[in-house]
Amino acid sequence: MTNLPVTSESFTIPVGPLHVALEEPMYFRVAVDGETVTDVDINAGHVHRGIEYLATKRTLAQNMILTERICSLCSNSHPETFALAAETIAEMEVPERATYLRVVAGEVKRVASNLFNVAILAHLVGYEALFMHVMQVRELAQDLKEAVFGNRMDLGAICIGGTRYDLDEDTITALTVALDRLEPEIREIEKTYRTNGSIQRRTRGVGVLSIDDAIACGVVGPVARASGLLQDVRADAPYHAYDRLPLDVLTLPDGDVWSRAMIRLHEALDAIVILRACLRDLPDGPINLGSDPYVPPGRAVARSEAPRGELLYYLKTCDAEEPERLKWRVPSFPNWDALTVMLSRAKVADIAIIVNSIDPCISCTER
Amino acid sequence: MNFLSLFVRNLVHGPYTDPFPFAPAPTAARFRGKVAFDPETCEACRKCERACPTGAIRFERTPEGMTFDCWHDTCVFCGNCAFHCPTGAIHQTADWHLAHLQADKYLQVEHGLIPAIVCSSCGGKGLDSAPAIGKIKPPLSPEETQELRSLCPKCRAKYLKDRRQRA
Repeated sequence: MTNLPVTSESFTIPVGPLHVALEEPMYFRVAVDGETVTDVDINAGHVHRGIEYLATKRTLAQNMILTERICSLCSNSHPETFALAAETIAEMEVPERATYLRVVAGEVKRVASNLFNVAILAHLVGYEALFMHVMQVRELAQDLKEAVFGNRMDLGAICIGGTRYDLDEDTITALTVALDRLEPEIREIEKTYRTNGSIQRRTRGVGVLSIDDAIACGVVGPVARASGLLQDVRADAPYHAYDRLPLDVLTLPDGDVWSRAMIRLHEALDAIVILRACLRDLPDGPINLGSDPYVPPGRAVARSEAPRGELLYYLKTCDAEEPERLKWRVPSFPNWDALTVMLSRAKVADIAIIVNSIDPCISCTER
Repeated sequence: MNFLSLFVRNLVHGPYTDPFPFAPAPTAARFRGKVAFDPETCEACRKCERACPTGAIRFERTPEGMTFDCWHDTCVFCGNCAFHCPTGAIHQTADWHLAHLQADKYLQVEHGLIPAIVCSSCGGKGLDSAPAIGKIKPPLSPEETQELRSLCPKCRAKYLKDRRQRA
């Protein structure tokens, strides 16, 4: 931790470990000169739970559930990527229907996760009516998850070798109806974020991350795409059925808080297009390879595009049922680093907005 | 966004929240709630016990037979047990009501018993569990299933071996 000098003009403000943006525990030591931030020191580790170690004490089947509980907002991406790694080791061919079903689960989570983040942005701007409206729209996605997967956050959709859930006529109808209701609402929300004066004044030109800084920090996901960096695992290294689906990756040049919110709203809309294509093209056939497929000893790396960006899993299996090592790099981890760039010369009042704009997932990062 | 029209819409719609506990909360048919266990169809293979990531499921051998316990307060409702169950003896209900008095905390258990039997062939110890029918061809008739249920594991294996040779 750096020792920052305290003079009459400059102060050190502790922000956190409680109440920054998402009310999750992260500690920022912010040095300010008047109202302007001069230096930031990020101190993590307040919610470390030792899940990486715990994963080596659980069987692969149990780890499907454990990884799902690393984080609530990307709770589908973790077991999804874990299963991809295990399937790579076992050289498994996932049934065609399961690849589409996995996309359905992932994209429904993306809609809900991105809406949550832009809702919090409205809350931090002080536009509570918009915050509550976006959260109410998100509730459509939450009810949809409860109807299709049986839970609002932890979907339990993925298993090694396929999916656990299947879609029937009732759930396809529930999905179609919910998507038809969500789409016009999200279009309206996008229009509001594009035109509303309060949102524009607080977010445009704030927390700028140039494309050079984005490359230097190695940022991923919407943060990278908002800085003009065309990078999406779904397009770069298609997994599941993404090579057959209408994926539209948007980049914006400005790299400010507003661009990141617009990228998230665009991706929520694009997810609806992808979901409709999935429901249209959904092939018949089995949904998994049985409840207990064998995974031989081996090593594999797998990656997927979580709502926050590239999620990377390293899995090393041995003769035992438990993995020898399980390691993941979450998208929030490289994005944290970019905060030091975004926050430099920022106003104190903008700290929370800028921190929220990387959609920080602290439970993912500290596990 | 026209917040005036949104205001009118919300005014007409009324509260979006459910009036629970003054009225029942709507629950999805697929909702993954409390675990229910059916000892009649259980094979006693204990796959659910191994798949459970929290250790909420416990089997135990007692003089009366094999007991099954699922502790609702430990369960995370992931449904891994139901997914790994080969016979569907374990499933999740749509019941999510978990509020209980502190005094009742050790009663939040789904309990089942697979009764112990005396083998009708050799007189040894056995369990009145469902036969493991996974890979048996041709499928067992109801009479054969009933007969297998009355046998100990050793006699069951012998019975199935003889059946394979006959076929």
